[in-house]
Amino acid sequence: MTTPEWLTRPETRFGPCTCCGRRSKGDLVEKTLAGSSRLIRSAMFSADMAARDGFLQRTDARVKVVATVALLLVVALVHHVAVVIGLYAAVLVLGVVSRIPCRFLLTRVWCFVPLFTGVVVLPAAFSFVTPGHVVVPLGTWFGTPVGLTSQGLTTAALVVTRVATSISLVVLVTITTPWPRLLAALRALFVPRAFVVVLALAYRYLFDLLNTVTDMYEARKARAPRDHDVARSRAFVAATAGATFGKAHALSEEVYLAMVARGYAGQATAIDRGRIACADVYVFAAAVTIVVAAMGVDHVLH
Amino acid sequence: MHIPDGYLSPSTCAVAAGAMTPVWFTAGRRLRKVVTHRYAPLVALAAAYCFCVMMFNVPIPDGTTAHAIGGVLIAVLLGPWAAVVAVSVALAIQALFFGDGGVLAFGANALNMAFVMPFVGYGVYVSLAGRAPLQSRRRAVAAGAGAYVGLNAAALFAAVELGLQPALFHTANGTPLYAPFRLSQTIPALALAHLTVAGAVECALTIGVVTYLQRANVPLLRLNHRDVPLDDAEAHDRRLSENARRRGRGRVALLVFGIGALLTPIGLLAQGNAFGEDAPADLDLHRYHLQSVPNGLAHYAGFWHHALLAGYGFGHDAHPIFGYVVSAIVGMAAIAAVAFLLVALLGRARSRYGPRSGARSVPR
Amino acid sequence: MSSTEVFAVADVHYRYLERFVALAGVSLDVHAGERVGLLGANGCGKSTLLKVLAGLVHPDRGTVSGFGKELTEAALEDEQFARGFRARVGFVFQSSDAQLFSPTVRDEVAFGPLHLGFDGAEIEQRVDDVLALLGIAELADRAPYQLSGGEKKRVAIASVLVTNPDVLLFDEPTAALDPRTQHWLLDLVVELHRAGKTIVCATHDLASLDQVADRCIVLSENHDVVAIGPPQEILADVDLLEATNLVHTHEHRHRNGIHTHRHDLDHHRPSISANWEADELRTHSTERGTPTS
Repeated sequence: MTTPEWLTRPETRFGPCTCCGRRSKGDLVEKTLAGSSRLIRSAMFSADMAARDGFLQRTDARVKVVATVALLLVVALVHHVAVVIGLYAAVLVLGVVSRIPCRFLLTRVWCFVPLFTGVVVLPAAFSFVTPGHVVVPLGTWFGTPVGLTSQGLTTAALVVTRVATSISLVVLVTITTPWPRLLAALRALFVPRAFVVVLALAYRYLFDLLNTVTDMYEARKARAPRDHDVARSRAFVAATAGATFGKAHALSEEVYLAMVARGYAGQATAIDRGRIACADVYVFAAAVTIVVAAMGVDHVLH
Repeated sequence: MHIPDGYLSPSTCAVAAGAMTPVWFTAGRRLRKVVTHRYAPLVALAAAYCFCVMMFNVPIPDGTTAHAIGGVLIAVLLGPWAAVVAVSVALAIQALFFGDGGVLAFGANALNMAFVMPFVGYGVYVSLAGRAPLQSRRRAVAAGAGAYVGLNAAALFAAVELGLQPALFHTANGTPLYAPFRLSQTIPALALAHLTVAGAVECALTIGVVTYLQRANVPLLRLNHRDVPLDDAEAHDRRLSENARRRGRGRVALLVFGIGALLTPIGLLAQGNAFGEDAPADLDLHRYHLQSVPNGLAHYAGFWHHALLAGYGFGHDAHPIFGYVVSAIVGMAAIAAVAFLLVALLGRARSRYGPRSGARSVPR
Repeated sequence: MSSTEVFAVADVHYRYLERFVALAGVSLDVHAGERVGLLGANGCGKSTLLKVLAGLVHPDRGTVSGFGKELTEAALEDEQFARGFRARVGFVFQSSDAQLFSPTVRDEVAFGPLHLGFDGAEIEQRVDDVLALLGIAELADRAPYQLSGGEKKRVAIASVLVTNPDVLLFDEPTAALDPRTQHWLLDLVVELHRAGKTIVCATHDLASLDQVADRCIVLSENHDVVAIGPPQEILADVDLLEATNLVHTHEHRHRNGIHTHRHDLDHHRPSISANWEADELRTHSTERGTPTS
C-alpha cells in the first residue's frame, strides 16, 4: 500500500476555521435529524410517564382501551360545545391524577391544534362557507349581509374542541400505558393476532431503522456543509431512503431466521399476563358513567 | 392528509373501517400465501420502513421541505397487498403512539392512504411501465407517475369523505356537526395542495428511490418483479408469451375503469342537474321539445326509486349526495360484474375450444 | 456414523442470492460434547455455515445432517422433527438486534419456549431462572432497543439458553463487546461446555480461541475448509493464518524507525498481551527497522 503524496500534506484551500456570520438554517439534514431525535425522545418520555405511579398507570390496559374508544365515540357524537369542553376538563383531571404534567398535555394540544385545525376551520365561521344567522356583520355582498354566522362559529368551535379533546385523550392513554401492555390489550380485545404481531415487530424495528437513517444523515453532515442544490439534495434523500429499504429487507430476513431458529412456525403466540382487578371494574364503571352523563346532558341541551 | 378525530362522523368512520375490513383480510391471506412464514417480519419491516419514509424531509424548490407517504413506493417494491398492510401498520403506530391521525378515523385514513393510494398508484405504474426492462428509465418514471396519481387519488378520497360531512350531518338550523366544508370546497382545496407540492414530493421520492435501487441494489427490485427482464438484452432473449400481452390489455382496461371511478366525485361539484341523472319530472321538457316524460323512462325511474333503494331512506332525495355516491358505487359494481361475467364466459369458451397459449408466470 | 455425531456436513455448496458464493465444497463433522471453533476472515462463509448447521438455509449441493437425520427443507417442515431440532439447537446470532425482536426482554426470552409448546407455569419459571443466571433480571420489562450492546448480547443468550439446547451455535459472540463482557462470555462458554453442551463458535478472535475450541476448522477466502486441528497447532501455523487473512504482516512507524511484524486481527485489544497466542505470534515477527538514536 503506497500513500498518495497529497494525503501527506495539509489542505489549504478551504479558508480559515472561523465564523463569517452567515448561517444556514432549515436544512433537510437537520430537519430529518431533529424529527428522528424528537420521535425517540417522545418514546422515551412515554416510557418515563408510563413508569410513574398514577391512576391510569395502575389501570388495566384492556379497560383503558375500551374506555378510550367509548369516550372518543361520545366526543364525536355529542352536539354541544359545552359538553365537549366538559369532557376535555375530565381528560385534564385524569391527567392530573395520573401525575402527567398538566403543562405537557396543554402544550401538546394547544401548540398545534390552533395552528392546523384552527386555521383550517376558521373560514367555516363565515357566511360564505356556513350560511345562517349573521351575528358579526362584516358588510354586504350583492345586497345580502355577510359576516360570522352563529352556525359557523358553533361548527368551528365544535371541531376545534373535538379535535383537542380526542388528541388529549389518546395521548394521555398512550403515555400512561407501556407499549407491550397496549399490544397485549389490543390482542386480548378485538384486533387480529397477526396484525398485533406485525405492529409489535414494526414498532420495535422502527427505532433500528431510525438509527440507520440518523447515522447516514450524521455522516452526511460530518462530510460536507449544506447543499443548496435541490436536485442533488433530493438525490441524497432518495439514496438514503433506498439504502434504508435495503437495510429493512436484510433485517427482515435475519429476524425471520432468528425466529425460526427458536421454533417459530408461522403461528405467533405471546404470553398474556394480568387479570382484571376490582379497581379496574370501578374505572370501567366510571367511564360508563361519564359516557352516559355526557350523552344525557347533550340530550337535555338539545 | 392524516385526518384527526373530530372531523368525521362516527358513522363515516365505521363505513370506512367496514370497507377496509375485507381489504385487510384479503391482504393478509394473499401475503401469507406468497411469503408464507416470512409474512410477519417482512411486512413489519416494510411498515417500519414506511414510517421512516414519512419522516424523510424531501427538499422542494422554494427551499423548504415536505413529507411523502410512500404508499406507492412500497407497492412498487413489494406489491400492492404488502403496501396495504405496511401502510396500515405505519398509520396505526402514528395514531396510537404519536397522536398523528385519529383513532376513530383510522379506518378512513387507511382507506385513503393504505388502499386507494397503493392500488391506484400501482395500477398506473404497471400500465405505464408495460414490459419495460427493470433497469429502464421508463420504469422509474412510471413509478413516479404512479405515486403522483396515487397520492392525488388518496387526497380526492379524503376530500370526498370530508366534503360529505356538512351535507349528511348537520343540526336543524344548518350547523355542520363535523368538517364544515362542502365538496365544492374540499375537493379544490385538497387537489390544489396535492396536485402541486405534495404530489411533486411523492413523485420525486419514488422516482429517486427506484432509480437508486436500479443502480445500487437490483435484487431488491426483483422481489416484486420476478418476470421482468433486467435490461433490453435480456428482454430480447425472452420470447414474451401471448398470455402476458393479454394481461397487459386487461391492465389498460382496469386503468381506464379506475380513472373513471375516481372522476365520479367530480360530478358532485357540478352546479345544477345533469341530464337524465335526476327524476324525469325535473327535466325541462320543453327545451328538448318533448311534451311529456316518455313512458319507458318514467317506468324505469320508478323501478329504481321504489324497488331498489326506497327501503334504505334515500329514495326520496333526503340525502341527494349520499344517493349519488351510492348510485355510483352500485352502478360501477354492476358494470364490473357484467364485465367479469363476460370475461369469464369468454375465457371458458376459449379454454374449451382452443388450447391455452403461453406458459403461466409465477403467481404474485 | 458414530453415535456421538451431532452434525455431519458433506461437500456443501451454497450461493447467497443464487449468485454470490458463500460455501464451496465444505465438509466437516461435529461430535457431542466438543467445542468447535470456526475460523476465517470476514466474508469467508462462517455465518452461512452456522445457518446451514442450524437448518435455517439449505445447501444448493451436498448434504448436511443433524442428530443423524438429513436437514432438508422437507424434514424441517415435519412438525415433530422441527420442534425437536429447534429445541436442541440454540443459535446466538451475530447481530443481537436481529435476534431481539420482541417488545420486552421477558417476551423475548419466553418466545422460544412458547413456540416450542412449553406450558405456562414452566415458561415463567424458566424465564426467571435464566434471567437470574445471566444477571439481567432487572431488565425484564425493558424494551430491547433501550439496552446497551453487552446487555443485548446477554438477553440474546438468555433467549437461547431458556430452552436448554444440547448444541449452541455462536456467531462471533465477542465482536463489538467491551473487554469485561468478552471475558464474561468466554467464561460462560467454558461453563456451558462443562455442563455437557456441544459448542460451535464462529470467530476470528485468535486470542480467545483456546477457551472456545478443542478443535478448529479453518475456512479460506475461497469458501472451503483448509485445515482442521487443535487450536495450538492452528495458531502455530502462521503461514496458514496469513494465507487465510487471519493475521497480516503489518508495517508501522515508531518514533525510532519502521518495523514490520505480524498481528492477529485483534491486536488493539487491551487484553491481548496476557494471552500466550499473542506472544507466540510476536515471536514470529521480524524486525526490519533500525533505531536512529
